[in-house]
Amino acid sequence: MFELALGEMLWGRRAVFMAVAAAVPVLLALGLRLAFASGSATIVVNGQHLSPETMFGTAISLLYLRFIVPALGVYYGTSMIADEIEDKTITYLFVRPMRRGAIVLGKYLAYLVCVLAAVLPSAALVFVVMVPLASMGPLVETFVRHLEQIAVGIAAYGAVFVLAGVTFKRPLVGGLIFVFGWEPIAAALPGYVARLTVAHYLQGGIADGIGLVLASIGAVLLAMRTIEQREYVLEQ
Amino acid sequence: MIVATEHLSKWYGEVSGLNDVTVTVPEGVTGLLGPNGAGKSTFMKLVTGQLRPSTGSVRIFGEPIWGNPAQYRRLGFCPEQDAFYTNMTGREWIEALAGLHGMDGDSSRAAATRALDAVDLLDAADRKIGGYSKGMRQRIKLAQAIAHDPALLILDEPLSGMDPLMRRRTIRLIKEWARAGKTVVVSSHILHEIEAMTSNILLMHNGRIVAEGNVHQIRALIDEHPHRVWIRAEDPQAVARLLLSGDEVSSVKFDEGAVIVETARPDAFYTRLTSLAASGEAGAIEEVTSPDDNLQAVFSYLVKE
Repeated sequence: MFELALGEMLWGRRAVFMAVAAAVPVLLALGLRLAFASGSATIVVNGQHLSPETMFGTAISLLYLRFIVPALGVYYGTSMIADEIEDKTITYLFVRPMRRGAIVLGKYLAYLVCVLAAVLPSAALVFVVMVPLASMGPLVETFVRHLEQIAVGIAAYGAVFVLAGVTFKRPLVGGLIFVFGWEPIAAALPGYVARLTVAHYLQGGIADGIGLVLASIGAVLLAMRTIEQREYVLEQ
Repeated sequence: MIVATEHLSKWYGEVSGLNDVTVTVPEGVTGLLGPNGAGKSTFMKLVTGQLRPSTGSVRIFGEPIWGNPAQYRRLGFCPEQDAFYTNMTGREWIEALAGLHGMDGDSSRAAATRALDAVDLLDAADRKIGGYSKGMRQRIKLAQAIAHDPALLILDEPLSGMDPLMRRRTIRLIKEWARAGKTVVVSSHILHEIEAMTSNILLMHNGRIVAEGNVHQIRALIDEHPHRVWIRAEDPQAVARLLLSGDEVSSVKFDEGAVIVETARPDAFYTRLTSLAASGEAGAIEEVTSPDDNLQAVFSYLVKE
């Protein structure tokens, strides 16, 4: 199932989105680097020139963790099973001698492998392009921490939305509202509301990261259980 | 018995899809005949474990099917829906699905080649499924159902959209599978098709089995009703002209790229159409389908609606 899902991820119609999501930050970084090098661009915040190192951190936080990772999670997570149901191809998988949960697991693992393989090198390239060689040494630890955050984010958003995909009929719209509506609003609200988001734990400490990984495993297991028990009536 | 259902019912919310069906399917070919909406597909989805019975039970080879994936080693299913991974080639798709039966690379390649050969698709095996004609898509669906050599085949409207030659070949194939010891349950809304494969028929209407076994009486009733056939062809005018030269056809009408023929003698008509397709006299005959309104009329009569 993993191999079949991997093929679909790499060569299916949705692969373009992944390629664009991985390439755009690198192109932006290249553009900025060229602009800085030629002296035609500077970014000033509170009277201070923003260093490329700070800009790298901002790119990870705003571009990857707030946009690309959740967007990929919603896009692929919700479609893993929902697309098969909508296209009515799920029938071919349901009549094979394997537990239905294996379909979810195989697809989720294929998603993890593909998206990690596309996004982590993209972030690494952004680092290489934006941060001058001389400044890289002290930033390696931060860079690795950012890669960990991205990896955990990919796992967590994918798990949440694969669960949504097996549970709800049209999960994409709800998923988009969650990541681009609810998460920014909740983060701005006082109190404990922010804890009802993935982003909150993603930007927390190691304990939060471990918690998020465990929650992701839980969500995938729940998705596997849901597809085992749920009946999918394909519309004629 | 290979398939046995007891008081099997299926409800979609408040709509009844299948109503208290108790039936057994023996070895060989069994035809499931009924108009659209009769419950054929619901029955097949229950028998293949895709749907859970609302009440009653389904047993395949003596064991329940719902939640029992091991049963799929012995079962092949060809669904009605025209759904595929269109970006894959026929061979890749069959190999991938054979792989889900636990076959390794070499075995799944060999199984795919055998299955593609059986449905006469080896030449097109390395083309994307998205570029297949309707008839080829029907055949690739059959190939995925037989690739793992199952003992029980459930085929939902497998002949729909095939050209006359492929229909004849597929009917022969189904009979060969039965002779080789497989059990085949095949659905259709065209009695002529089912009769060509078997005399063991289950008649369905409104979610119930209304008759089982011998269908001679039904056949006589069907023949009293004009039978309409829609034929998409390279040259519909030539097809119409040649068909009208015989006495099997009572009227013709033209549709976009197709001709709609009415006949009171479907057997003779289909024989003639197959010869016409084989001779190529009227160009290529690409697709043949039969609306089920004639069968609907017979069923309405049978159940005294």
